[in-house]
Amino acid sequence: MRPLSWCGGVVLAAAMLSFPFIVNGYWLSVGVLAMFYAIVTASWALLAGYAGQFSFGHMAFVSLGAYTSGLLVKWFGIPVPLGIAAGVAMCAVVGSGVGFVGLRMRGPYLALFTVAFSEVLRIIFVSEVEITGGSGGLEVAPLFHTRSDMPAYYTGVVLLAASLAIMLALVASRWGLFFRAIRENEDAAAAAGVKVLRFRVLAFAIASAFAGLGGGFFGHYIGILTPDIGSVDQMGLVVAMAVIGGAESILAATLGALGLEFLVEALRSYGQWRLVLFGALLLLTMRFARNGLLALAWQQMQRLDRLRRMTRLAAGAGE
Amino acid sequence: MPNQKSPENAVVPAGRLPRRNVLTAAGAAAALPLLGRRARAADPIRIGWVGPLSPPGGYAEGTNMKNAAALAAEEVNAHGGVLGRPVEITYADTRGMPAEGRTAAERLVQEDKVVAVFGEFHSPVALAEMEVFHKYGIPFMACDVWSDQITAKGYPEVFRNAPAVSLIDVAIGQWMVAAGFKNVAIIAEKDDVGLSARTIVQQELTNAGVKFTAVDADPNLTDFTAQILRFKSASPAYDFFISIYAEAGAYPMIRQSHDLGFAPTPGCGIYNSGGESVDPTFWQNVGEAGKYLVTENVGLPKAAWTDKTKAFVAEYHKRYNADPSGAVMESYDGGGLLFDAIRRAGSTDAKAIIHALETTNYAGVRGQYSFSTSHEPAWHYHQFLNAPLTLLQYAETNQGQADAPIVWPRKFATVPYLYKKPGAA
Amino acid sequence: MASRPGMRDDARGLMADYLLIQALNGLTVGIIYAVIAAGLTVIFSILKIVNFAHGEFYMMGGYFSYFAIALFGIPPLLAVVAAMLVSFALSIVAERTLLTPLYSPTTERKGDYGILVTFGISIFLRNIALIIYGPYPLRPPSFFSGALIAGPLIMTWDRVFAGGAGILLLIALVWFMQRTPWGEALNAVSQSRESAAIVGIDDQRFYMLAFGLGGALAGGAGALVGPIYSLSPSMGLIPDTQAFAIVILGGMGSVSGSILAGLLIGVSESMFVALFPDPSRSLTYAQAFSLVILMIVLLVRPTGLFGRVHTSMD
Repeated sequence: MRPLSWCGGVVLAAAMLSFPFIVNGYWLSVGVLAMFYAIVTASWALLAGYAGQFSFGHMAFVSLGAYTSGLLVKWFGIPVPLGIAAGVAMCAVVGSGVGFVGLRMRGPYLALFTVAFSEVLRIIFVSEVEITGGSGGLEVAPLFHTRSDMPAYYTGVVLLAASLAIMLALVASRWGLFFRAIRENEDAAAAAGVKVLRFRVLAFAIASAFAGLGGGFFGHYIGILTPDIGSVDQMGLVVAMAVIGGAESILAATLGALGLEFLVEALRSYGQWRLVLFGALLLLTMRFARNGLLALAWQQMQRLDRLRRMTRLAAGAGE
Repeated sequence: MPNQKSPENAVVPAGRLPRRNVLTAAGAAAALPLLGRRARAADPIRIGWVGPLSPPGGYAEGTNMKNAAALAAEEVNAHGGVLGRPVEITYADTRGMPAEGRTAAERLVQEDKVVAVFGEFHSPVALAEMEVFHKYGIPFMACDVWSDQITAKGYPEVFRNAPAVSLIDVAIGQWMVAAGFKNVAIIAEKDDVGLSARTIVQQELTNAGVKFTAVDADPNLTDFTAQILRFKSASPAYDFFISIYAEAGAYPMIRQSHDLGFAPTPGCGIYNSGGESVDPTFWQNVGEAGKYLVTENVGLPKAAWTDKTKAFVAEYHKRYNADPSGAVMESYDGGGLLFDAIRRAGSTDAKAIIHALETTNYAGVRGQYSFSTSHEPAWHYHQFLNAPLTLLQYAETNQGQADAPIVWPRKFATVPYLYKKPGAA
Repeated sequence: MASRPGMRDDARGLMADYLLIQALNGLTVGIIYAVIAAGLTVIFSILKIVNFAHGEFYMMGGYFSYFAIALFGIPPLLAVVAAMLVSFALSIVAERTLLTPLYSPTTERKGDYGILVTFGISIFLRNIALIIYGPYPLRPPSFFSGALIAGPLIMTWDRVFAGGAGILLLIALVWFMQRTPWGEALNAVSQSRESAAIVGIDDQRFYMLAFGLGGALAGGAGALVGPIYSLSPSMGLIPDTQAFAIVILGGMGSVSGSILAGLLIGVSESMFVALFPDPSRSLTYAQAFSLVILMIVLLVRPTGLFGRVHTSMD
């Protein structure tokens, strides 16, 4: 199957690079948002699917990164990339804090804690109107002053590629092993000598940093920030993307995000039913294809491939 | 089968009227009543509509506005369309989120190829959409968005047929001062509308030396009992309670205030801005607490209703069993304004439409429209400065909005008093 | 307040009255919270999952009651019962179709599964509610009109009734859990699946019962508050997070803990709004109040007031 996956990868990369030339401005703008969701979903998959830290506070870091960057640029006039970097740093620090503080919490407790954290942060952003503009929105300096979304799109592609490269390298390294060990059974991992505290904090810091990166990118692209981006509904969207794609594989989650963002747009004419469909899809995937639809598709392809090889073998033997 | 070339477009060489053309023209003219004045199956004029149709946006009112837009399109198509072509509106649900607004705007322009857009209910979303329309030069008639910024940015594509915050809440503040209230309790919804409204109202009150306490509330709240009790126990006592709250919690708030004996009482009046009292379920939700409630209407006062207004109200009532709110009328007129501009421009070219919009003198259901071209102050640009606004006070339960006594501005007032206390004669 | 001779006692008296009213009001709110939280606890004790869709069951219960009255003419008091029955049925359907993998040994990381599935149910229900019920808030008719007025205290009879009915539901629940064979069996299962299995109690019917019971309680709460708060598709969002905070505070797995914690949080929230020095922020931060409590409890004493140590389902 390896040649197939390589082929697929190359095709995908080619499609992504030539995307702005194939589609119109509308789909390009959807593409930019897809890059954003991909970065956020991939980093959530790393944290929750791979390292087993079930955090529902991920979108809080997205909004933290966005507001940090937006406000710093607004108050001190620093260049936008620097602002985004500051947002990333802020999220890494706060993320480590959450990881540290949540150390003793498992599963649903951690989920609840992070939900509460996320909501409190959102309430603060909404309440402190003088600083954040509250629900009236905060106007944020744009990344690019061009009419076309192309520069934004390619920036998104680069950011996504870089993020994936880092995350995949992490996962392939020893650290990746430790993350998985912690996910499967924390006590056993600790008994085996894995420094659980360090790696939990690390997982949170890294994932939150990427969320902050996504947030900064998003904020400076849309140009106006509202606290809604950190809401539980948005978190649900990311969770759905990861699960449907395949929460335990960063690549699958990324593809899930890309696919679903385009699907959601394509179904725009169905209005409210889109989200109902989403919820239903999430439920069906969880129930019948726990490892995600991509894994399911992969399994099917493998089965077909085996079948093909067996028939070829049988045909060859028959001659 | 109607022939492609309509009689109006038939080219008649100067001085000569070939018999065939005359016969064709006569025949077509004679057949016209038989065809009915329906728009032909020609290339439709595509117009976009934006607004919240699902949460977290204000979807109740957004749905109402969409219905009004649909009604406008239906009516214009029944009368031959615009420039002989049917109008087709594409609706985009922007859900109250700027990112959705931006994507929807891109889609409307690039995919649906609209020639103009109208609608919207949330200022931050409109601000995000505006950037896209400005980028492509597509005219945008902003409806129920009140942020000054929308016109203050000075984009030539953007027009607004609703009042700006600077217009509305100044009026509310002035009325409160004129009615003699001295100590006001305010609960404002924590979103763009609530915030900007509260700021302006507070400014007016401060200028007039009226005391107030303002509290911000999450749009999802439905239990205000504790807060109302806190107000009630304050000393000195409040004599007026204004809530700037449009979400589902507006009704329980009014009810709770009444049930707790806080307002309306002879000692304390009550105002709600934004909670659509024309929603079909308003009285079901509010009941007796709605009597003596003061609220605003951005539609025309009944006394000033034109025949057009009456016809619209009647039709809307027939279909949806409710009175149209000001925002609904804005949406309806928004469509009408665009149709009118396109007609006068004689084409669907964006620049021509914008130019035509600037010279608008259109009779809508909310009065006579025209748009300022002054940049001084900035928010005047492309703003409908004579946007009607009246404050009314319900005198009976189950009273229709159009029948409620108008207390402000005085030139439209239908009653001698500024404010009627419960229990007063 | 300007002071006058003899004003001191008046002021104190007024303050005491004010606090008492706020406390009583908070108590009724707390009772409703307790009912919701008790349902969440039952689900958690037996199925060992946090039901993220609990707020949506609450919301659906409210709507069931509304339509029972509007479409079938059922009197409001009976409509609450009807709503609870329908919620019970709906919860069981959800449990049978979606939650059975929780009991199978081949499912990994059941806790995560439970979280994700109930999350998905909540998204689904919330959006379907919007489509079915429409965008306008609905209000079922009052149970009783008028208000109870006793001195400075004013409370609508609807609220008094909601509080009273809530108390009855809680008493019924506790009686059920402690005095009936089914309830005792549920208790046994919640304490230890293995031990219960040894004694012969290992029937999927208990899971159905638990989930149905939890959903019925949430639905009943929704039906009770309909006339007070009006109904809207997203009305479950706030009580959802309150319920989590309460269950954590009371201790996951302890029904009495949830009840106590519900009352505590209800009263404290009202007091917070009553007393927070900055009146312009009192309402907004009151919402964060229960969330902050949740975080503190998780940090300091995760088992809450009465909870047992978390035993995972695996």
